[in-house]
Amino acid sequence: MSAESRTNRPRRLTDMISQALFQEVPFSIAVIDRDYNIVEANQSFEVRFGDWRGKKCYEVYKKLSQPCEECPSAQVFETGEVVVADAVGVDRDGRTTHYVGHVAPLRATPDGPVEYVMEMTRTVTGTRSWQQEYQILFDRVPCYITVIDADYRIVRANEAFRESFGDVINRHCYEVYKRRKSKCPNCPAARTFRDGRLHRSQQKGTGKRGQEIHYAVSTSPLARSGGKVGHVIEISTDITAIKKLEHDIIEAERLGAVGQTVAGLAHSIKNILMGLEGGKYIVSVGLKNNDKEMMAEGWEMLERNFEKTTSLVKDFLSFSKGRLPSLKMVDPAKLAEEIVDLYKDIAAQSGIELKAHVEDHIKPAPLDPDGIHTCLTNLVSNAIDACQMSEKKGSQVTIDVREKGDRLIFEVSDNGSGIDYDIKQKIFTTFFTTKGGEGTGLGLLTTRKIVTEHGGEIKVDSQPGQGAVFRMEFARSRLQSIHKDELKTEKEKTSQKET
Amino acid sequence: MGAKVLIVDDEPDVAAYLAAALRANGHSPTVAHSADSALEQLRRARPDLICLDIVMPRESGVSFYVRLKKSEEYTSIPVVIVSGVGQDGQLDFRNYVADESVPLPECYLEKPIKVDEFIKTIESLVASSTAAERQTGK
Repeated sequence: MSAESRTNRPRRLTDMISQALFQEVPFSIAVIDRDYNIVEANQSFEVRFGDWRGKKCYEVYKKLSQPCEECPSAQVFETGEVVVADAVGVDRDGRTTHYVGHVAPLRATPDGPVEYVMEMTRTVTGTRSWQQEYQILFDRVPCYITVIDADYRIVRANEAFRESFGDVINRHCYEVYKRRKSKCPNCPAARTFRDGRLHRSQQKGTGKRGQEIHYAVSTSPLARSGGKVGHVIEISTDITAIKKLEHDIIEAERLGAVGQTVAGLAHSIKNILMGLEGGKYIVSVGLKNNDKEMMAEGWEMLERNFEKTTSLVKDFLSFSKGRLPSLKMVDPAKLAEEIVDLYKDIAAQSGIELKAHVEDHIKPAPLDPDGIHTCLTNLVSNAIDACQMSEKKGSQVTIDVREKGDRLIFEVSDNGSGIDYDIKQKIFTTFFTTKGGEGTGLGLLTTRKIVTEHGGEIKVDSQPGQGAVFRMEFARSRLQSIHKDELKTEKEKTSQKET
Repeated sequence: MGAKVLIVDDEPDVAAYLAAALRANGHSPTVAHSADSALEQLRRARPDLICLDIVMPRESGVSFYVRLKKSEEYTSIPVVIVSGVGQDGQLDFRNYVADESVPLPECYLEKPIKVDEFIKTIESLVASSTAAERQTGK
């Protein structure tokens, strides 16, 4: 083999490779001179942009009659550096086409002047339209969406978010969402950065006009590979309206309870008035007939009913303190056991067994311990009375504490005399007493008031002669939100005092 | 001759007041503090009229009233409800007893009562019930 053929073969091979590359790469390639003339192009280019021979680049790429305002080729001629640029052109059939152009200098020698530029373009039309759709979706979904980086700066935010929170890009999320100067405690995004998992929570923020915004947020890692989380996407639903509704309902229930209380008070006063009128009447008949026995009877009646007025006023004042429940984290089991300790002996004296039955693992809950104590006291003392009225033997009163889903339940049941249907309709709404001269009829009304203030419900199940079950149910989510509101009010009060 | 009136009220002072008013006007009252004791007294002596409270322990006045009106024996005895549960002198009795086959009580008096009105009501109800009985007797 001659020396010439040995040196020629690699040269031929290089040419072959260059030619194949030029034609087969999945790019459209054109070589352009300093005067914008296309001097060479591959098949892919011709297929996309049409005939190029003897034409200027701007005529072929964009169907223009003069050079583009920002010409990447001119830039490469000037700087000698590679330029990558997005561009929009027109294909051979007159359709708009999006492409990314990669423009590189061609030199005869590494140090020589740029003689030509080679423009390699890749179509991104499909990707672009998909991106547009994605952008519309991103902006128009009825949720707030932000992407935050590891420094907790917002790098992207959708239209809904910008509308509520203003211009936010590059600002810290805690500053935008909550106007804070440092990261929020219990930040779900921080948890996602740590463990790469989805986290959810309910938060309260401040909008651009200072308005309170409640939102349910879920945070998820933007990377899917399971590697280190560089960005977190936060998707939130505005639940301000729901929160307001919830608040309004509790408020309406409170007002309703007040209205019923007033009606109940009137009923109770009517009974006392009747006693006073009765006493007055009997005294006057006694005087008329000079009947001393009758006079004494009437006088006693007057005294009794004056006393009743005093005790009603006392009870009513304590009932109408109008204070909001003061919630603390307490152990529900302990509350029940306290009542059993208090009433066990009194119950035993009447042959009634009082016991608490508490489910395992009941978590502490934000409750007003004094309020719940009052409720349980009222229910238990009613149950003991009901057992005393019943002629049955083996009377029992039980306090059950259990959990059902989100609800914490206290139940006081007895096997005493039970309650008539029509009384059952009224017991929570008026000053109802079935205890004759004793009792002011405030017990169940107070109980209901306290339960309502906790955002809870009280129900009764009973048949005459079959005993009764009084059930107080508290949704933990509502307790939490009342607790939060309360903490906020306290904070505001403290800050007002400070200023 | 005075009317025989059975007063059913768990509140002793109210019962004593109504009894005193009736007695002072020449009538003969008897008193029961519960539905059970009222039934016993009914069996012993049939009254011309019953004054009935609504809220009572164990069996309420409403439930007792329904029993009364459903019994053949006592259904014709007129009943005056004397209670504090109504408003402005009105009581929507169908709120308590939806069953239309149970007739409405003859009268409702709101606590505190006015003695004159109470006596007048009792006397006129007793008179018309006696007249009705006399007619059916014929």
